[in-house]
Amino acid sequence: MSWKIWSLKKSPWVFHVNTGACNNCDIEIVNLLTPKFDVERFGIKLVGSPRHADALLVTGVVTRQAAPRLQEVYRQTSKPCVVFAIGACACDKGIFTTGYHVVGPVDKIIREVDPNAIIAYVPGCPPKPEAMISGIVQALSVL
Amino acid sequence: MSVPLNVLFWIVVIPGTVVLGLLACWIVRKVSALVQWRVGPPLFQPFYDVVKLMGKEILVPQEAQKAVFMAAPLVGMAGVLLLSIMLWRVAFVPAKPFVGDIIVAIYLMVLPSLALILGSSASASPHAAVGTSREMKLVMGYELSLVLALIVVIIKTGGTLNLAEIAQHTTVFSISNMLAFLVALLCVQAKLGFVPFDIAEAETEVASGVLMEYSGALLAVWKLAHAIMLVALPLFLVIVFLGGFDVTFLTMVFRGTFEPTLIMPLVWSICKYVLVLVLLILIKNTNPRVRIDQAMKFFWVYCGVALVAAIILATIGKNFGVSWL
Amino acid sequence: MNQEELNNRLTEIKDKLTAVEQPADNRIWLTCEAENSYEINKFLFEEVPLRFVIATGIDSDDCFEVLYHYAYDETGCMITLKANIGDREKPAIESIAPFLPGAEWIEREIHDILGIDFKNHPDMRRLILSDDWPEGVYPLRKDAEKPVSRPDGEPLTRPTVQSQSPARRTVPLSKPVVVVGPFHPLQEEMEFFQLSVDGEIVTDIDMRISYNHRGIEKISESLQFDQVPFLVSRICGICSASHPLAYVQAVEELAGIKPPERALYVRTIITELERIHSHILWVGLAGHFIGYDTVFMWAWKYREPVLDLLEEITGNRNNYGNVKVGGCREDVPNDLIPKILKELDGIEKKMEMITKAVLDDPVLHARLKGVGVLSKADAVKYAVTGPTARASGVAIDVRRDDPYAAYADLDWNVISQPEGDVFAKAVVRLLETFESIKIVRQALEKLPDGPVAAEVKEIPPGEAVGHVEAPRGETFHYVRSDGGNRPVRHKVRAPSFVNVPSFKASCIGGHIADVTITLAAVDPCYSCTERLAVVDNNKVIHDYDTLLQLSREKTARIRKEML
Repeated sequence: MSWKIWSLKKSPWVFHVNTGACNNCDIEIVNLLTPKFDVERFGIKLVGSPRHADALLVTGVVTRQAAPRLQEVYRQTSKPCVVFAIGACACDKGIFTTGYHVVGPVDKIIREVDPNAIIAYVPGCPPKPEAMISGIVQALSVL
Repeated sequence: MSVPLNVLFWIVVIPGTVVLGLLACWIVRKVSALVQWRVGPPLFQPFYDVVKLMGKEILVPQEAQKAVFMAAPLVGMAGVLLLSIMLWRVAFVPAKPFVGDIIVAIYLMVLPSLALILGSSASASPHAAVGTSREMKLVMGYELSLVLALIVVIIKTGGTLNLAEIAQHTTVFSISNMLAFLVALLCVQAKLGFVPFDIAEAETEVASGVLMEYSGALLAVWKLAHAIMLVALPLFLVIVFLGGFDVTFLTMVFRGTFEPTLIMPLVWSICKYVLVLVLLILIKNTNPRVRIDQAMKFFWVYCGVALVAAIILATIGKNFGVSWL
Repeated sequence: MNQEELNNRLTEIKDKLTAVEQPADNRIWLTCEAENSYEINKFLFEEVPLRFVIATGIDSDDCFEVLYHYAYDETGCMITLKANIGDREKPAIESIAPFLPGAEWIEREIHDILGIDFKNHPDMRRLILSDDWPEGVYPLRKDAEKPVSRPDGEPLTRPTVQSQSPARRTVPLSKPVVVVGPFHPLQEEMEFFQLSVDGEIVTDIDMRISYNHRGIEKISESLQFDQVPFLVSRICGICSASHPLAYVQAVEELAGIKPPERALYVRTIITELERIHSHILWVGLAGHFIGYDTVFMWAWKYREPVLDLLEEITGNRNNYGNVKVGGCREDVPNDLIPKILKELDGIEKKMEMITKAVLDDPVLHARLKGVGVLSKADAVKYAVTGPTARASGVAIDVRRDDPYAAYADLDWNVISQPEGDVFAKAVVRLLETFESIKIVRQALEKLPDGPVAAEVKEIPPGEAVGHVEAPRGETFHYVRSDGGNRPVRHKVRAPSFVNVPSFKASCIGGHIADVTITLAAVDPCYSCTERLAVVDNNKVIHDYDTLLQLSREKTARIRKEML
């Protein structure tokens, strides 16, 4: 294991991208920071610029308007960068599959810009914060 | 400076300051977490962060002034490193000062802010532009107060511009010195970009503002510079306002003489440093961010009045020999 | 003015109407031809005066209908004006936005999804469809081709199209512009604000939504009546009890179903618990926005017990899926009541502490008072609802005005403040939390025995409206049925859809550092706002290039000006 991956696991900074979610996943992501879950224990930190991010937490179905923006954000992250599809919508569009303004899911849109992107899935509607922590930890452990 | 002392000096200054800085970073995050009822990060977290950033890709915005953009963090880093070298020198070899080093210190302390302004305006991002203009206004706001606060001390110590002498001669417990210390503490708060003066980096207003475009190793250098500032600036306050940082014990140990009576001054010095750091953290965690106009008003009007009063008190105290004024 | 006087006033315009129906005391349906709609709307909004709720565009087979929904809050009366547009080729109707700024967005939305032209509309840019949406494709028309979705392999960066309408507002290029969004830490969701600034003072604000538009109203038409609550609870995660409730009430009104007593109380308990956690959440986020992270952490810590209670009752921390046509899915178990009461005591104590801390903090007073003021007149003009309206002295609350669930049996107060600034909004939300705790306590005490769901046989043809006071304001649902098992039209108006445009009144002239908290003070919810669809593609600023590149150009411009 190279020192780059080792340190990435010790300090994953995440940037949160909402691509048309209902807010639940987003609120649960913010919940991760708060005293009950406190992911700073694992060095996970929410950052305000995609350039600082090691992981993108993507929520939502990816609407037509959001898709190019999501790709742009992914391009702007400094690699290596892991993409997490958080919630049923992000994983496979969930209840919104038939929507006319929906072009997702997340993996399809990300793969259009980077076929080799590392994508992890945390299903649930919304996934419980514990599930998100477990998902992030498991995904990092297979890197 | 004798040869072994020289070695000790460089050991302490270069890796030592960085390690201390990362430790101070951890203390800031841990204490903030505790205040917020969280557990907080593990001890080595700031270290992991920096190592990780070193391994990441560096992205330079297309429209950026590349040379300035890349050089700015190094200039900032150089500034704080020089400052800490100077301060440690004052602590370790107080006998060999040079005249006017307090003025050099003032200039060196502005350097990181200047570098930040340069770097972020070179990055050509509008959020960074807002951050930059705020940083500039903020620098103009607190620099005046800081210089006035130092003048109070200079008056009290009889006009010396020498840090080592100031450290030995300050009357810590006097009204004017305490006023000046409090104002200088707030200036340092602003220099460190802590709440309530994190206006330039306000994540929710300007998306991490000035540092928005930096990534990878360049960001790591900024983080390191910030970490060293966490050592250097409180140390500066301790030396100037709180009667100096006494490391005679360490120098004696290195020379082979173990002098137990000298432990207390060292411990006491460390306590003073920690006190300043904890004060900074507590202010950070119990206040909301102010607006830039409110910050300017605060520094120029309220701090200005307090400092003018302090200068008058100090002058009177000096001329009439009343040390508590 | 009581209901009778209101009815009398409405007879003044009788000769312009083609039909008047009053199925219940406080539900009135008026019908008119498109030519008369402007005058009647002006009469309803300015003369009566009624509060504008929303408009609905419908593609009926032979014509287009535009429904203007109004509310008369003193008697809780909902008045709907139907305007029929006979011309299917070039449907057009007079815009009401010139005298009713609150209708500006909905007319843009109807234009996007149905292609109805609004004559004399001040700003007919795209609102809800994406920049690359093909011109002339209207997704909510019944004859809309199905494959409106993007074919595989099609690039995402098509050139942007421009709306046909000539009236397009542009920001003068000479002014420096700061963009907020679409990904910005200020909000959890995507939004795009373009602030024209003079130094640090905001001179104009322009908004672009669409990032969150999922086309829920269309999806809803393909689901059965009892599946729709699951869809609408996912309009917005924090209003995931209020949206289904409003929908279900509309359907129950349509079919004349009376849910059992206990179900009404359970609905009250769930929606009030939701309000408590939503308001605490807002307090925390507001603290975060002004850099007060300690408040953020503490508030969210105290919010957790509420989520735990909801999880214990409904099985999920959010998206409860508890409301169904005819009643509720899950009951509040009687042996859980003591635990809920105990937790409520704890929350009340903690909230008292936070409220005291907020109200006594001099820095917060300096930071929030007089900031982002929305005057009472503007609040009426933009037809805002919920805490946003109540903090501007407009004391409306659906729970009191048109009582639903069990609110009529309970004793509580409507909180309102006259100032209209951010501080007043914070005070309203904090005090409402205590009222909600009071409501839940009483509801638990009075909880009647019995079943929680009535049997539902079939939904007859017809139409009905339902509205509910969600944490952010009134959420409104309109449902039309043709007697089948799916709604033929389902319109949703979330509170943020009317609250967000009021930024135009509250932000301009303010400090850029105040904009963020002013925007946040409304507690905007973009996923709510965009159940439908939209985009604006105006002028220079945002086409497909990255925001950052665009912004960089702007910076270059600013720099040039400074030289």
